[in-house]
Amino acid sequence: MTTDSHALTTSEHSPVGGLSHDTGGGISNVVLGMLLFLTSEVMFFAGLFAAYFSVRARAPLWPPLNPETQEAFHLAILPLVGPATVMLILSSFTCQFAVWAIRRGDRVAFVRNIGVTFVIGIIFLVMQAIDYAQLGSEGLTLASGTFGTTYFTLTGFHGAHVFGGVVMLGVVLYRGMAGQFSARHHDAVEATSLYWHFVDVVWILLFSLLYLLPGKTPQG
Amino acid sequence: MHPLRHPRNAIFVGLAFTIIGVIYFGVQSIVGWEVDYAGTTLLVLLGVAVAIMSYVLIAGSPND
Repeated sequence: MTTDSHALTTSEHSPVGGLSHDTGGGISNVVLGMLLFLTSEVMFFAGLFAAYFSVRARAPLWPPLNPETQEAFHLAILPLVGPATVMLILSSFTCQFAVWAIRRGDRVAFVRNIGVTFVIGIIFLVMQAIDYAQLGSEGLTLASGTFGTTYFTLTGFHGAHVFGGVVMLGVVLYRGMAGQFSARHHDAVEATSLYWHFVDVVWILLFSLLYLLPGKTPQG
Repeated sequence: MHPLRHPRNAIFVGLAFTIIGVIYFGVQSIVGWEVDYAGTTLLVLLGVAVAIMSYVLIAGSPND
């Protein structure tokens, strides 16, 4: 029991809160667990991306035609997805500001920044839900062939991860308001921050892939 | 001292897999085979996963 307790708290005394490679070696169990989890998450999304590229490469036309209108499906960046992307990127900055604040023991700045990140995460989810509703009204659903399936699978799983991140941010915010974090004890903040940055990077890749990559015509 | 002592060097381990993925893609394109996009994507992103794993292994090791 004593040994376990020691193992769980070793890195809490690290000046860099878990990412302790600049000190005497070793890594926090919480951060270690999150990094291993993120490694598996990279391969999870790699599988989804691989499926998307494979399906896209075999399709003669991408995006395909909407059977109802006989026009190619169009994913609009404005008015929802573009601003949502900018907000998610900004939330990574506010999340990192929160980490830096708690590392120097500034609890007020920490709670403020993590609160902003939490709110932005919720706004992103709401915007994604509205976007889904609009796409559905235009005839693009999960059942709209391989295009609809891959689009909603990719963005849906990402949305689920954002939801998970918002829950984690909510817990961190609650604990931060209760004064449970300090410059020495904030491994959960470091781990949540890593997760949120990961979710952000995945969205940047998804956005580039789905909205910026040029479509494919029958000629090429 | 181990040559990969600093965790920052984990990126080079991951980069090896990513480069293999790029070569895999390049050879198929140059030779004119049908490109295996799924395999290429998995190899490139495997580099990211391996880089994180290497970071964990190196950063988690004691310095002595």
